[in-house]
Amino acid sequence: MAPSQLVQLYRELQQVFTSGNLQQTGVLLTRLKIALTEAGLLVPLGNPEAQDLVIARDILEVGAFWSIRTKDIPSFDRYFSQLQTFYNDYSSVLPPSPREYPLRGLNLIRLLTQNRIADFHTTLESLPLRADALTGNPYIAHPINLEQWLMEGSYSKVWNAREEAPAEEYKFFVDSLMGTIRNEIASCEEAAYDSLPLKDAATLLFFKNQSEVIAFAQERGWQVDLTAGKIIFAKKTEEKIEIPKEKLILADLHYARELEQIV
Amino acid sequence: MTDVEMKSADEKREDKTTEEEKKPVPLTPVAEIKANVALIERAVATFEPRFTHRVLRSLTHLRRRLDDTVLRDAINETYASDSPSKKALLSWLPEATAEQSMDIDATSQPSKQSQPEPVPEVEIYLRLLILHHLLTSQANYPKAMKLAHDTIDKMQTLNRRSMDAIAAKVWYAVERTYELAGDLADARPHFLAAQRTAALRHDDETEASLINRILRSYLQYNLYDQADKLVSKTSFPTAAGNPQHARYHYYLGRIKAVQLNYTAAHTNLQQAIRRAPPAKTAPGFYQAVHKLTIVVELLMGDIPERSLFRHPVLEKALSGYFEIVKAVRNGSLSQFQNTLSKYAAEFEADKTYTLIVRLRQNVIKTGIRRLSLSYSRISLRDICVKLHLDSEEDAEYIVGKAIRDGVIDGRIVHEKGWMECGSQKGGYGPEVSDVFARRIAYCLELHNQSVKAMRYPLNAHRKELAAAEGAREREKELAKEIQEGGDLDDEGPDLGEGF
Repeated sequence: MAPSQLVQLYRELQQVFTSGNLQQTGVLLTRLKIALTEAGLLVPLGNPEAQDLVIARDILEVGAFWSIRTKDIPSFDRYFSQLQTFYNDYSSVLPPSPREYPLRGLNLIRLLTQNRIADFHTTLESLPLRADALTGNPYIAHPINLEQWLMEGSYSKVWNAREEAPAEEYKFFVDSLMGTIRNEIASCEEAAYDSLPLKDAATLLFFKNQSEVIAFAQERGWQVDLTAGKIIFAKKTEEKIEIPKEKLILADLHYARELEQIV
Repeated sequence: MTDVEMKSADEKREDKTTEEEKKPVPLTPVAEIKANVALIERAVATFEPRFTHRVLRSLTHLRRRLDDTVLRDAINETYASDSPSKKALLSWLPEATAEQSMDIDATSQPSKQSQPEPVPEVEIYLRLLILHHLLTSQANYPKAMKLAHDTIDKMQTLNRRSMDAIAAKVWYAVERTYELAGDLADARPHFLAAQRTAALRHDDETEASLINRILRSYLQYNLYDQADKLVSKTSFPTAAGNPQHARYHYYLGRIKAVQLNYTAAHTNLQQAIRRAPPAKTAPGFYQAVHKLTIVVELLMGDIPERSLFRHPVLEKALSGYFEIVKAVRNGSLSQFQNTLSKYAAEFEADKTYTLIVRLRQNVIKTGIRRLSLSYSRISLRDICVKLHLDSEEDAEYIVGKAIRDGVIDGRIVHEKGWMECGSQKGGYGPEVSDVFARRIAYCLELHNQSVKAMRYPLNAHRKELAAAEGAREREKELAKEIQEGGDLDDEGPDLGEGF
């Protein structure tokens, strides 16, 4: 059994967390982590009781949510990797947690915002769900859709999905995703347009007014023609195509060597 | 990935059945086992793994003809009646009906008593046969599990290099035991421990077999992270056989494909196809590899060759994939979605579903590219309609991204709401040389890999040596004759001295 002090603290944590007092939660979490380590539950060793494991899992889950609310991503990362043990290795012993999928979804979005697409897909594959059931789970479907839209370029859908976040915490990530998207769109515009009216640029980049657009344009070094109300994208001057001599020579030498081996 | 592949793995071992082996086919199973035992003894005595390999090649064939009596007879005939190994082996088989066993004992005892105890390899081989036999019926699984553990312990304590080839097969049987019993995950610690030992002992066959076992067990449970780490921390023994290499490359291909490293995945899958046994002997593996290859090719933006889908072994298995390829080729999103939902269960079983879902963006890209080739100017509204996109706004972003990614060459004129397509690029420039370089690299790689995959029969050079020896002998004789002839010739010696 877990020490009574731990249980006491755990109750307190639940209360404080539901009341939304972030600072107090942080203090309690630190104390609880020490208590968990002493009880040998932070990284479960041996054969602890299922009841204790549930408490440890709950504490870590609160910690993960708390990290996001305080916008501390590395801390979320740590909490989540500790939770992985509970979700994967003890899944047969423990009753499923209602917070498991929200957290897994959050982790997926985190990978997406950090542009770790390969990790995103690896994590997705290792989810204990059937592939066609993935889209049925709202917490998981959200990041999956976001990834798909990002990849095909339907940025407006990503923008609209901001409001559809299945949990409050998702919004934090979606906001940071917007910054990435704006830069993506901007780089597309540079390539695809010769010039663009300021008004349209604002809608395309999801800005509310023109001054924001102008500030953003200056940041990216665009030419703004205020009298005509247009942004002119500097055409990339036709670069003189240079023959990559060194590369060609290296390749030729390589071929020569290989040919020698064959003959 | 379950049944088909397992079958393929069995069948893979059957490959390259040589001429020699076709002759003893009419033998009874007992006689065949006896012959195999003799071969193993010879292999151990002469340090020639070749004989053991020959025995193991007949394993699949032999396995289907085993039953309790056959095994009991074989054990009785191999061992002296009072040998402890014999009792241990027989204990794994159900008791024979009294008269039968009496009969056999009576006939076999006199002839065998004088024989020395066979080498331990024989015992392990017989255990392997019993294990395979036990796995044919569900009631025997717990017994098979016990036997498997017993055999592993025995192999590890004996630690004989001449046993390696058999040990590799035993590990395969162990995996099968765990899988049939339904807890493949529990076997992993054993595999990992044994892999370490095998690596330390330079036991290439076993190590290769074990790495594949572990990878398979990871992939079965979708643990791509762990599988990737295992691959990066171990080196696959190059001396391992082709079938093991084929499986290893297939697993690598799967890991790489999930990590979006399609080029690497494609290379690995190509290797797997090339090293795999012919399509007819191992259809399951052949199909599985091709399924994955097609998806990876599509993800890379290539369209697989049409002839592939007409291959007799693949035609039926690939029907769903053929539909997907058609949808991607046409760039039609609705067709793609329909096919995906129609064959969802099939793709799910093949574990390619999530990969195929990723194809969506490729479908769109192909669609835009086709439009850009056929129109010099097209309104965003039309693009939206033709590609079944949700809104013009989306179309604008998607076209913008396509232009930036270099899929098409063009401009968007926002005020007029249309896309102007640029002229086609000339077919010259550094990018052309890049494409050529890639192709040349591929050909060279193909050549090198083929050379590596070639097998030379052991001791073949001895024959050549003997031939060379003979030639030298003849040369000597010839020289002698010439010399003798020279003696007859008057001027010969003079000339010699003159020099």
